[in-house]
Amino acid sequence: MDRRFVYILVALAVIIPMLFRVNLPVSVSEPTQKLYDYIEALPSDSTIILAFDYGPSSLAELNPMAKSLLRQCFDNDVRVIALTLYPDGTTLASTLIQEIAEEKGAVDGEDYVFLGFRPGATQVILGMGSDISSVFETDYSGKATTEIPMMKDITNYAQISLLIDLASGSSTEVWITYANVQYNLQIAAGVTGVIISQMYPYLQTGQLVGLISGILGAAEYERLIDVPAKGMLWINIESFVHLLIVGLVVAGNIIFFNQRRREE
Amino acid sequence: MRRQVPLILCFVFGIVMIFTQFSPHSVSQTLYQEVISWALIISPFALVLATTTLIQTHVTRIRRRTEHWQYSFLVFVGIITMVVIGVPFGPQNQVFEWFYTHVQVPMDATMFSLLAFFIASAAYRAFRARTFEASLLLITALIVMMGNVPVGDLIWNTVLSWLPLEDGASGARQWILNNPNLSARRGIILGVSLGVISQSIRIILGIERTYLGGGD
Repeated sequence: MDRRFVYILVALAVIIPMLFRVNLPVSVSEPTQKLYDYIEALPSDSTIILAFDYGPSSLAELNPMAKSLLRQCFDNDVRVIALTLYPDGTTLASTLIQEIAEEKGAVDGEDYVFLGFRPGATQVILGMGSDISSVFETDYSGKATTEIPMMKDITNYAQISLLIDLASGSSTEVWITYANVQYNLQIAAGVTGVIISQMYPYLQTGQLVGLISGILGAAEYERLIDVPAKGMLWINIESFVHLLIVGLVVAGNIIFFNQRRREE
Repeated sequence: MRRQVPLILCFVFGIVMIFTQFSPHSVSQTLYQEVISWALIISPFALVLATTTLIQTHVTRIRRRTEHWQYSFLVFVGIITMVVIGVPFGPQNQVFEWFYTHVQVPMDATMFSLLAFFIASAAYRAFRARTFEASLLLITALIVMMGNVPVGDLIWNTVLSWLPLEDGASGARQWILNNPNLSARRGIILGVSLGVISQSIRIILGIERTYLGGGD
């Protein structure tokens, strides 16, 4: 089969379900449920850190997670400190937080703060363990961190209930190595599909309190907070693409075995 | 002398930083915090170094007229445009944000989206059950793929409901991730960690010197 024909099939498998909305039932996996329950159990006025460690190439998978997490936090009066270890993540994170804050009526500096980006991932993580304001002297808009109302009682990880790393690379492992092991900070992650398998050893040891896995995890989380959005839409579309790929692999193997039998 | 000073610094700081991890004494912890803040100052230099290397690479490409050298001009157009807007006006400037949202985001997303087409084509052409190991990989991949989408459970519960597995394709995927995957990953992590420890000891003791570069 010509590869261009395969490309057309993939395009159709994406476009057709998008035109005719399909709603398949999504069951919630244990790691996603654990993270949801952990945030639900946090007392109001707790503070979490949400790290946007990804760039535009991964926003399709990770933005729906970020939106669901922010919705849940703002609904439960959990305050959010957002930051990024990726220079590409600043504008993306800032826009997304503002969108959800407006939707939920959250106030900048009281319910959330976006600290922006600082270079040197390991040094930033270790530095925040001593004093967050020494690493992020100002927030993204240039306000002094020490003068931001919600940061007044926060010095370091000791006042943080949970860190959620939304990652498209190896940043979660860096957070675990330096923030969890060194400072005992509780960590959860939302990761792209390609790195899910790397996270399971940390789930088993309890170094990750929960995990949102790819676009399926995003859809599961949307189901948990009862706000179906792009995660739900995209996982249904992805269902058809996966079916197509499985069909192609099976077809390819049938052709392969037929050819081998003829040669023998 | 050019090689001895970095070797001595590396040895002293390596040993001292290891000891700070085992001593809760205030002097040790103050020293640790101090060195962390030094490291924070040093890390932005990596960005400067990366930018300089990028510029040097593309200047060389243009000078030598290597294949597709014309595209190197686009790199400079991108860098200069974003620096001219970003440095004086900041990343919250409307024009800077417009370039990010309407140029960088679609380009990055497009590059990543192309993978879906390549994966589908590669899976069709190359994913063959030639050997026992390849067959095992193929079956595992198919189960994980189907477990990753809701339609997998639907098909499993309809066609494979006779199998003694309660949670369908998603349950089978979870089992694969929790057992064979986790075991293999743990082995890899342990191996890599031991490698990192031995390499760090070699660097601290000055046995491994490639980070110093060539020459005397």
